[in-house]
Amino acid sequence: MVKIITIVVLFSLSLSAKSVYEQDCMSCHQTMAVKIDKFFYRYLLKYSSEEGVKKAMTQYLKNPTIQKTVLSDGLINRFGVKKPTKLSDKELQEALDEYWEIYKIFGKLK
Amino acid sequence: MLKSWDINLRESEKKTLLSFLALYLFLMFVILLFVGVLYYVSQKEVMLQSKRMELSDLTNEHIAKLKELHVTFYKNKNYPRDERFNSAIYDSSLKQIFSTTKAKKINLYEDSYLEDGKIYFIKELESYYLGARYIAIEVDDAGIWKKKVYQDLAIYGSIVFMLLLLFGYFLLNILLQPMRNALALLDRFIKDTTHELSTPVNAIMSNIEMIDIDSLDEKLQKKIKRINIGARTVANLYQDLTYLMLSHKIVSHDEDVDVGLLVKERVEYFSLFLESKKIEFNIKAQEHITVHIDRKKFAKVVDNILSNAIKYNSVGGKIDVEVSSNVLSIEDTGRGIEQKNIKRMFERYSRFDPSVGGFGIGLSIVSMITKEYGLHVEIKSTVGVGTKVSISW
Repeated sequence: MVKIITIVVLFSLSLSAKSVYEQDCMSCHQTMAVKIDKFFYRYLLKYSSEEGVKKAMTQYLKNPTIQKTVLSDGLINRFGVKKPTKLSDKELQEALDEYWEIYKIFGKLK
Repeated sequence: MLKSWDINLRESEKKTLLSFLALYLFLMFVILLFVGVLYYVSQKEVMLQSKRMELSDLTNEHIAKLKELHVTFYKNKNYPRDERFNSAIYDSSLKQIFSTTKAKKINLYEDSYLEDGKIYFIKELESYYLGARYIAIEVDDAGIWKKKVYQDLAIYGSIVFMLLLLFGYFLLNILLQPMRNALALLDRFIKDTTHELSTPVNAIMSNIEMIDIDSLDEKLQKKIKRINIGARTVANLYQDLTYLMLSHKIVSHDEDVDVGLLVKERVEYFSLFLESKKIEFNIKAQEHITVHIDRKKFAKVVDNILSNAIKYNSVGGKIDVEVSSNVLSIEDTGRGIEQKNIKRMFERYSRFDPSVGGFGIGLSIVSMITKEYGLHVEIKSTVGVGTKVSISW
């Protein structure tokens, strides 16, 4: 009986569990003045491909500097540079993959 | 006189000349084709160059629309379309983001190019709106330039080809000159020789005929016969050569000639030759078989075939002559001639057996006369067995 309860609890937990992107990215960005999609389109404008965008984002998130930012000077002066991520490489990759899937252009144009 | 002796180009020489002409024309064609392709490519380049400015303007217009879409993408996902052109966008890894082009694959490494009647113009963006690093524009090629190029190629190509053909003709003449000279030299030599032979041959022949052979003793009779054979050989040769030189001036007196009688008469003429080589002669002739022909010319044909049959026969050999309604055949038991040489037998100066004298003009005369009268000559020969010459009419 205890076993069954444990499984059910674990199952319901896994269903309600949030992804790395939702938990570690969206949670903060949601409340920000600049929405998360704006960052995506800025990266896209500068790095073009999936590989280029993800690589640039990874580098920035791990070690954010003014030189690497895609934001305008005005926004940087106002909000500053974020702190380096505490996510592991795998988690970061997972978050970025989801981020790409949500905002990518491929398959959305009509 | 010399000029009327047309150069008789032999088959092999004709073949060589034709091969030369074919090779020359082929080379010229390849060169012209190469030049034509170069011209086509250059004209295409000129056309693309002239289109580039216009296409660049269209591309810039499209980029402005992409920029607008990039900014409003969160609410608008409609790719900008223009009836003047189709377009496609690619990211920096050359992955297609979106396309309205007819072509499935576009070569992004080119600046502009033409394919399947469409002109493609490729530009790299400075800012990658919607992630697009490359933009390709596709427009229809009206093909006016192509029509003009084909027209130019047809006109100028045919003019140049004609000129080259003319040049080839002169080249061929230059090439032929040494051969013509050699043949002319040989012809002139024979003509001169013939001329010099005329008087002595006539003197010998008429004097021999005047000798009363029966009044001589046997030994002398034999000697005179030998002289007679020799004289007749020379006389034959002289007549052949004269015929070759004067054939165009000889007026034909065509009449119904009894073939059987004529052959018998000519055999009589050669009787001394037959006797000296101990050749057995058989004739099987149907009576009153006639051919409408010049007597002298027909005699020349028979003489030449008979003299060959005697000349190339073995001592103690046989000659069978048969005259039927439309064929005269003369068969010998001589050394025969190889199959590959039969075709060339009728060429002037063709000789295949150096051990027997001659100029190689006898059968050439036979060929001339039989052609003139539409007679058909057939030669069947087996080396070592004999030769059969049949003339049919």
